[in-house]
Amino acid sequence: MSEELYKKLMATVVDGEPEDAEAIAKEALEKNLDPLTCINKGLMPGIQKVGELFSTGEYYLPELIIGADAMQAALEILEPALVGGQKREIVGMVVMGTVEGDLHEIGKTLVGTMLTANGFKVVDIGADQSAEAFVNAIKEHEADIVGASALLTTTMLKQKKLIEALESAGLKDKVKVMVGGAPVTERYAQEIGADGYAEDAISAVDIAFRLMDAPA
Amino acid sequence: MERPPIEPLRTSRKLSFLDDQQLKDLQEATLQIMENTGVQFPSDKALDIFAEHGAIVDRVSQIVKIPRDLVIRAMGKVPRYFTLGARNPEFDLILQDGVSYFTNDGCGHNVVDFKTGEKRASTKKDVGMAARINDYLSSMAFSWTMVSAQDCGLTSPLHEIDVTWRNNTKHYQSVTMMGEKICRYGVEMATVLRGSEEELRSRPPLSLIVCTIAPLVQDKEAIEGALVLGEKGIPIVIMSMPTMGTTAPATYAGALAVGDAEVISATVLMQLANPGTPVFHSIFHAWADPRTAAYVGYPLDSRARYAPVEIAHHWGMPSLGGAFGTEASEPDSWRAAAEIATDPLMVALAGAEIVTGIGLRDTYTTLYPESFILDDDIYHSARFSLLDMDVNPETLAVDVIAAVKPGGHFLSQKHTRKNMRTSMVRGVSHQLDKMGKYRNPSEYARERIQWILDNHHPEPPPEDVQKEINTILKIADKELKS
Repeated sequence: MSEELYKKLMATVVDGEPEDAEAIAKEALEKNLDPLTCINKGLMPGIQKVGELFSTGEYYLPELIIGADAMQAALEILEPALVGGQKREIVGMVVMGTVEGDLHEIGKTLVGTMLTANGFKVVDIGADQSAEAFVNAIKEHEADIVGASALLTTTMLKQKKLIEALESAGLKDKVKVMVGGAPVTERYAQEIGADGYAEDAISAVDIAFRLMDAPA
Repeated sequence: MERPPIEPLRTSRKLSFLDDQQLKDLQEATLQIMENTGVQFPSDKALDIFAEHGAIVDRVSQIVKIPRDLVIRAMGKVPRYFTLGARNPEFDLILQDGVSYFTNDGCGHNVVDFKTGEKRASTKKDVGMAARINDYLSSMAFSWTMVSAQDCGLTSPLHEIDVTWRNNTKHYQSVTMMGEKICRYGVEMATVLRGSEEELRSRPPLSLIVCTIAPLVQDKEAIEGALVLGEKGIPIVIMSMPTMGTTAPATYAGALAVGDAEVISATVLMQLANPGTPVFHSIFHAWADPRTAAYVGYPLDSRARYAPVEIAHHWGMPSLGGAFGTEASEPDSWRAAAEIATDPLMVALAGAEIVTGIGLRDTYTTLYPESFILDDDIYHSARFSLLDMDVNPETLAVDVIAAVKPGGHFLSQKHTRKNMRTSMVRGVSHQLDKMGKYRNPSEYARERIQWILDNHHPEPPPEDVQKEINTILKIADKELKS
């Protein structure tokens, strides 16, 4: 009975059905299934399968994103139900946002989704976020990685400001900084002291794994 | 193995570069040239036919002056639409308004060997390879002699037919058959393939393109060969290639008048000999470089490039439009693509019934097999450009836009999931590698050619038919090569 529900939960992620994912997560809790096992046996294999289908070319971006949405919908039900010291296993904790003065969302959303699909936990703080907001989120979520996106030559300078703010806050050695966005280059990333740069969402995953010192 | 269906260029839109008065003036010029200056027909057979029908024939100069009433009467017999039969009936081409059927280029004499990269003279095997690639591609509605079988000597046009039929199931238009004898053998081969003369007439699997010699001369072998095919109702393309400044006036209108007079005088002959013979009109005009006299197909100003199509239609004839004849010598340079980029779109909008021809470089002379795929991509880009847009509640997606709200994104929408796969069609320049980066288009094109050559093997003609064709070839070789 419980195995069947894990499979159903997995299927909602693979098929990209967020409403069903939420409903089945609720059903699992009503039936007193362990939320952590639901995550580990239902959602995780589901999102891994989505990642796999994406990397083999069978799935396109919308399938990937909707799969991650389905997982998120179920997590919102299951995570608050975790008891005691229970914590879901993740590759790393990532805080992701677009820098202050820049309203472009989609780039960092894509990177966040790709990371989620690969086992990271991603907290997306949104667009137009000040260095202070980034710092607070990093502290709050004990982030391993921070991702800062900038789409404009005028706002990419804020990526440098963020790194300076991390130094002032004493966080520079505790969190790895990834930067990205159309005008950003590998060279610029190095110049401002970022730890990683990727030109698209797929290569961002490799960089994140490398930064976590985990196998990609 | 499944072969993609033929995807011709279809459009209900028309682009006209010439107005009614210009078309009348051009036609009047042609009539005057034929009536007053005349056209040379170095063929007693042709001169006899003209004389019988009241044209003014000078046996010494071999120049025929054709009175306009004779022209008008003869031109009234040319069919506007007809069918080009194919080996596979699914690929029969029914000529009609708004549909342009394309083929590959021809007739080259060099091949850049697909395996070794060496540039060498083309052979019968290369003709077969090109025919096989043509057979697979949906852009290719019929087949042309892409390169010549230079290893087959005088009977090469017949060997080209043979190897094409063994590798291609579409209609075949020979670019090389010349002279009465060769053409009689060609007709015999086509009759064997089709099974009877009636079938040959209603669904001819073979047609022929013959060229005139500018200015105002017909080629004896071409004309006499075409007359043989005309007896059996096999379609002919008469093509003139006036070059502005050398073989034609250095003005576009004058060059078209010369080219048109060549095409129309030959068409009149075909109709006088065999009324109702299907004939395509074609003018491939070019420019002579004013400093070197080199042949130039794509100068910066090639306005009204497809005016010849309108001239053909004004005469009530179907047209063969010339496209893709780049002067670039590389398969994939900026020049190779830029010169020809608008050709398929323009020629389809002009309404050409059949169009040549993709895949050659160096002004119709050199075959890089991968160019087939690169030009096929430009063809399909034109095809998509001519397709209609869907506007309906589903495609307008107003409800989806409302759900996303300002500042959101559409990737999470099921509507996007449903439509994103097909909304962007990937051409050769957007093929991804494993890392999600765009690949080199030529490298991808080479892979596609390799795949076609490895996997696509069209069914050859039935064994008994092939046996008869082989016998005809042997007899032809013996008679014509000795």
